[in-house]
Amino acid sequence: MNFNFDEDQRSLGETVAAVLADDAQLLAPDPVEAGTSKAWEALAELGLFSLLVPEDLGGAGFSLIDVSLAIEALGAGLAPPGIASTLVVTELLSRYGSDQLKARWLPGIATGELHAALAIQEVGSGPDPLSMRTAFVANGLSGTKMLVDGGSEADLFLVLAGSADGPAVVVIDAKADGVSCRAHDGLDPSSALAEVTFDNVAVGDDDILGGAAAADAVATLQDLGATVAAGMQIGIAARVLDISVEYAKVRVQFGQPIGAFQGIKHVCADLAVAVESGRSAAYYAFWAVAEDAPDRARAASMAKAYCGEVARDGCNRATQIHGGMGFTWELALHRYMRRARILEQAFGNSDWHYDRVTEQTVLANGHATRDEAVSV
Amino acid sequence: MDFNYTPAEEQFRMELRAFLAEALPEGWGETVFLPEDEDEQAVFRLDWERKLYEGGWSCIGWPKEYGGRDATLSERAIYAEELARARAPELINIIGQNLAGHTIIHHGTPEQKARFLPGIISSREVWCQGFSEPNAGSDLASIKTRAELKGDKFIVNGQKIWTSFAQHSQWCLALVRTSNEGPRHKGISLLLIDMRSPGITLRPLRQISGENEFNETFFDDVEVPIENLLGPINEGWRITMTTLSYERGPEDALGRQVRIKQELDTLIAKTTELRNDGKRLIDDPLVRQKLGRSIAEVEIIRLNCLRALSRYLAGEDRGSDASILKLFWSEVGVRMSETAMDVLGPLATLNGDDPLAVGSGRWLTSWLQSKAFTIYAGSSEIQRNIIGERVLGLPR
Ligand SMILES: Cc1cc2nc3c(=O)[nH]c(=O)nc-3n(C[C@H](O)[C@H](O)[C@H](O)COP(=O)(O)OP(=O)(O)OC[C@H]3O[C@@H](n4cnc5c(N)ncnc54)[C@H](O)[C@@H]3O)c2cc1C
Repeated sequence: MNFNFDEDQRSLGETVAAVLADDAQLLAPDPVEAGTSKAWEALAELGLFSLLVPEDLGGAGFSLIDVSLAIEALGAGLAPPGIASTLVVTELLSRYGSDQLKARWLPGIATGELHAALAIQEVGSGPDPLSMRTAFVANGLSGTKMLVDGGSEADLFLVLAGSADGPAVVVIDAKADGVSCRAHDGLDPSSALAEVTFDNVAVGDDDILGGAAAADAVATLQDLGATVAAGMQIGIAARVLDISVEYAKVRVQFGQPIGAFQGIKHVCADLAVAVESGRSAAYYAFWAVAEDAPDRARAASMAKAYCGEVARDGCNRATQIHGGMGFTWELALHRYMRRARILEQAFGNSDWHYDRVTEQTVLANGHATRDEAVSV
Repeated sequence: MDFNYTPAEEQFRMELRAFLAEALPEGWGETVFLPEDEDEQAVFRLDWERKLYEGGWSCIGWPKEYGGRDATLSERAIYAEELARARAPELINIIGQNLAGHTIIHHGTPEQKARFLPGIISSREVWCQGFSEPNAGSDLASIKTRAELKGDKFIVNGQKIWTSFAQHSQWCLALVRTSNEGPRHKGISLLLIDMRSPGITLRPLRQISGENEFNETFFDDVEVPIENLLGPINEGWRITMTTLSYERGPEDALGRQVRIKQELDTLIAKTTELRNDGKRLIDDPLVRQKLGRSIAEVEIIRLNCLRALSRYLAGEDRGSDASILKLFWSEVGVRMSETAMDVLGPLATLNGDDPLAVGSGRWLTSWLQSKAFTIYAGSSEIQRNIIGERVLGLPR
């Protein structure tokens, strides 16, 4: 047993952080301006998108654990969420795509030419990622998805959809007939969120991830997506803590740095504990998803539930610690708050995941789940 | 990063599991529990500690030369998990095995090691911790209990307070003032005091739960031979600070996690049995939220410990991050007990003697006892000061 990241894994995280920190536009107070940053290109040049692609398809064949710290850095650096979504799509395609499907998409993804997006949430479906109305019948997929990050730029979508055989993850070419896209007007324009409508879009057998094991692909998407979002959430929390601690050291009131007041110091200490605890949860979830550990679902839900709360709390506390400055547009703390709120909605919110943690534990401890109990 | 267990580690787990199944009474934790009476309970627990020792399962992290197993990180984690699984009783000699043992191993003379370690690992001799005084709690460096060197003996006078298990202890690891010159913390020494010495009086203090675990301990011209000075004279503070990094470190926190998880698993089981209006408690969405949070937090205690141990194994210092572990497990423990009381509702307020009580009223006692978590071993406020100043670098 070993909970340490190795030298290469740490250095990848640091490199991604450095590339993002170099991009002043990315951290601009105006989320619209931030949305036009060149982060994607810079990270593509670094080779980020090739890391999870298998070696025989032009990639580096890395595992999810290798990129965990890089994903945390994407969160901390406010990289557009479409970047992490593309990594999620890559991992799913690598694991569950047919040879033909992989050969069609992965080489282009590896070079950073192709953008991929995840189409999961719908109006009126609540926090459960699996409750959806989008469905495919007679090989035609129809439905409308919302909050698709990087939706307008995407070349392909991974769409969560119902079918006669249960939920499935379907790969759709963004240029296919019947696909249309509308940019949302909302909280975080830097996330490039869009509504995507599928109107009887043709689906080939090959486009369904996992084929006969479609349910596995769906479950993996749920856990993987939640874990990656949690990694970014804890990155945000860690960054706003750092910013707050620096401010508390230099802002003087009543003749001393405000960080000397216990009312501020203790808030920072509590946040530091929460950030470290969130990291423990997120790192373990990365491992559990990479290894398909028996407690994968529970680990992913723990991470998403807990890290989501820490990110939200961290952003609120950071604003408070900065006083009036925290409320300004220019300081751009609001960028983290906006992004944290967007990530909270992705792949199930904290409440939904806490419920799932309970469900998974009840099962693991050998008790009857809800449904069985009713029939008793 | 790797959480898989090797075949050797699985073998270790199976051996331990088999030992525990054999050593604990039949039906343990389900129909058979600790005796209610405090004295009977102490006898039972000490007997259990001796069984652990005889099976080779005591102080597994100690070096082999002192009777330990030099256990690896994984083995320690497995040990904690398996004890949780078996709901094994808590140690009375925790101060001996964690604090006194580590301090003697690191700072003791060969004679002290030979004299004391065998008694500690076997719980033949139980230890208590004589640190706190009425006017020196969080501000421990202000202790006043004096030890004057006269010939080859220290003469100790003063008072300690909150001394847990002093009534069962043969020995006390005590912080005493040996100099009033210079800074306060440079005049403190560590003494190993025989609790059977003339001049020691105990006065039991009743706790929030009605139990008598802790005491006032009075020292009146108590003679302590000079060979029972641990480490150099006036260096007791520095040594104690390293000792406390064990008291607050991952080894301790893993043990705590075990206890908290045992209770949480029992609580979950109860919520699948008890019904309100015909509906199982576990099917109430509010109950599920509260449990989900506690399950996640309790598991994170374990993960935090494994991360800290991994860092130490990779050569990093035991630093102030022990404060992060302590603050987290203690606050989580308190919340978990509140969750139990909330979830069980009116039934949780009943004592074991009431026929309606759930689980012999253990929830009630645990809830009251949990209030100590955030006070002892450095209060939450003190931990926040340490984290703020030493981890984050905020000004004092
Ligand atoms: C169940 C139990 C068992 C114990 N067993 C032992 C034992 O075996 N041996 C032993 O030596 N001791 C033992 N203790 C004592 C324990 O270590 C002390 O209670 C603890 O150090 C706090 O000291 P105090 O009680 O004097 O509280 P105080 O130090 O008076 O603290 C009172 C309050 O003030 C806060 N406070 C104090 N200083 C600061 C500060 N600088 N900033 C902000 N807030 C502050 C504290 O956090 C606390 O909330 C035990 C305590 C308990 C509850």
